[in-house]
Amino acid sequence: MDLNYSPEDREFRAATRRWLEANVPKEDLKTLDERKAWHRKLYEAGYVGMLWPKEYGGWGATPMQQAIVQDEMARVSAPPAINGLGIGFIGPTIIVHGTEAQKKRYLKKMLTAEEIWCQLYSEPNAGSDLASLKTRAEDAGDHFVVNGQKIWTSSGPIADWGILLCRTDTKVAKHRGISCVLLNMRQPGVEVRPLKQITGSSLFSEVFMTNARADKSDLIGGINDGWAIAQTTLGYERGGNALGRVTRYAIAFNQLVKATKELKRGGKPLLEDPAVRARMGRIYADLEVQRYAALRVLSALQKGDSPGAASSITKLSYTEFEKRYYELALEILGPFGQLMVAREEFEEVDTSSGEPGTFATAFLWSRAGTIYSGSSEIQKNIIGERVLGLPKEVRADRLKA
Amino acid sequence: MDFSFSSDQQLLKNSARAFLDEHCKPAAVRLLWDDPRGESESMWKEMAQLGWHGLALPEAYGGSGLGMVETAILLEELGRAAYPGPYWPTVLSATAIEAAGNDTQKKRWLSAIATGDARATLAFLDSDLDWDPAAVSARAEKSAKGWTLSGTKRFVPWAHVASVLLIPARAPEGPSLFLVDPSSAGLKLSPVQGMDLATRWVHLEMDKVPVAGDAVLGAPGQAAPLLSALLRRGAIGSAAEMLGAARRCLDMAVGYAKVREQFGQPIGSFQAIRHKCSDMLLEVENSHAAVYYAAWALDAKAEDHELAASVAKAYVADASRKVCGEAIQVHGGIGFTWEYDLHIYFKRAKALEAMYGDVDYHREQIVRRAAR
Repeated sequence: MDLNYSPEDREFRAATRRWLEANVPKEDLKTLDERKAWHRKLYEAGYVGMLWPKEYGGWGATPMQQAIVQDEMARVSAPPAINGLGIGFIGPTIIVHGTEAQKKRYLKKMLTAEEIWCQLYSEPNAGSDLASLKTRAEDAGDHFVVNGQKIWTSSGPIADWGILLCRTDTKVAKHRGISCVLLNMRQPGVEVRPLKQITGSSLFSEVFMTNARADKSDLIGGINDGWAIAQTTLGYERGGNALGRVTRYAIAFNQLVKATKELKRGGKPLLEDPAVRARMGRIYADLEVQRYAALRVLSALQKGDSPGAASSITKLSYTEFEKRYYELALEILGPFGQLMVAREEFEEVDTSSGEPGTFATAFLWSRAGTIYSGSSEIQKNIIGERVLGLPKEVRADRLKA
Repeated sequence: MDFSFSSDQQLLKNSARAFLDEHCKPAAVRLLWDDPRGESESMWKEMAQLGWHGLALPEAYGGSGLGMVETAILLEELGRAAYPGPYWPTVLSATAIEAAGNDTQKKRWLSAIATGDARATLAFLDSDLDWDPAAVSARAEKSAKGWTLSGTKRFVPWAHVASVLLIPARAPEGPSLFLVDPSSAGLKLSPVQGMDLATRWVHLEMDKVPVAGDAVLGAPGQAAPLLSALLRRGAIGSAAEMLGAARRCLDMAVGYAKVREQFGQPIGSFQAIRHKCSDMLLEVENSHAAVYYAAWALDAKAEDHELAASVAKAYVADASRKVCGEAIQVHGGIGFTWEYDLHIYFKRAKALEAMYGDVDYHREQIVRRAAR
């Protein structure tokens, strides 16, 4: 056991910090073009696509270096890179399962955010039970004709391409008839309707496909191999970047301390109230433990151990923590915690979406983490079955199959 | 950065597990419930021969010179076995003697502790429920031959078997720490029994207990920082023990959920049970991270080592209470019976939760460090 950062990692952190100090935009990025330009700058500095192999335009960096960059970016509340789904999950899927032609065509433009990607997985009637999806892709010679509806599609309105799970065989067990294909979002058969979230913003959308075209050359893996491929994609998504998140939480804690010093009760700062102190002590212990756990996962990744199903524990842990955390902040701050616009006495808080906001925004966003990328309930099923080895549940769909 | 155990550390863990599985079975723990001493002399000697008592002591005193990480590894296994005996109070006291003692004191006690010939314990709590070492209310007054101690010490673990007691008292100079012979005149020891029959507490009444002038550990009046450090080390150690107890309860619950059938299927196939077990595993894994982070931080003198000790104690106390309690829930009625072994670990975790600074104390320490 040695939790010290190596001299190389410390030097890398210092260099990253210097670069961010010199380059982080002073003004909020307002347009997509501005965000793309910032993304491009991050990429050229070696801070995007860090884990990708060099031959595909990545930097071949270590998981530790990537965590350090995300940690340092959180520290200065730097605007995040864009195309996160593409670079984090879709790109690696193409690297593992794609053809050479697909890699040449898509990867570099994904890294540079020249083309923005989205994930077309969930459907109105296929959420946790993703394998029951109904979007059809019919064989039309050199291409598929796609009909159906997707939902909860992040980045939908700005996406150029999507990775689509669709049904290509209706006669076999549900997870055996699914294929994975790349879909051009910029075509007449694809309609994107933004969905307004409880935060008031519209970061995700519904996608309607009516006789949309997907080329067969864009099929990932073989026909009906989609379910296995989707499992690897979800695998990359879970576990995530816990360290950078924890740093965001820690910064928010400092804001909470500041607020409880300024707000008074009985003439004394809230922070001197024993009931407030006890709750803050409890949540800070919780926060620190999330950090230790993140370091543990990072150390395993660094050694080349794949966390596998254990990454479900990480995702479950920090997303559930995030809810407890902002619930507590709002409990302590009363109506002051419910302001949706940052005021002078309440500085901005980074939410888990990377959007700046207030404690109220962060509180609302915290409800998303335990739903997306496999809800907490699905994570607990995975942990129960694959980590603890508990027997599979008897399910109606398994009895039929 | 490496959060995993080295091969030597893993070896230590494996050998501790093997030894305790053989010598500290639940039946062995139960046998000692009615024993007046409450511990096994032969197990104590064998542990000493394995080098456990001197694990973190310098080689000059027969120790191995290892750190808190290795100590925590052992304590986790001891907690997993609900080992009954004065191991942690003794080893923690040895740390105090090593840190603050003079040569004579070290020679007198450290080798004897390493060989298993001496047991020691520390009296943190006075008559009130105040873990702040600066709040010590027992008094030390100067006498012709040295000092006399008066006052009350409560919930002193394993004092009835100790060869030496480490007793904080307020001298005119301020909080001081004394090495006291348990058979001294004016010192009355009475057993106090909590819910865990394998944890022994002792109530000390001191009425002008004579203590020699050279029995002060460190300089008179200077003990508060030492006591704070010992309390933090004690907190990490007890958190490691609670982690072990929690892991044992989780293992028992998962094992039971795989074989117990209701409605024609193992209860572990029901989400109500499976999700509970997953939550328990989450708490156990987070507790592991908390304990070993704090242990490493202490060894490495990391700048957050004081915070980490309080975080570990506060978090693992909550987590182990939850995990051990939910293990009873998963078992149903059988888990509530005296004959089933779960309550051995449930009660051990509970007993440790109240020691070395309770959750309220450590949360306050956390806020003091984090909210400035």
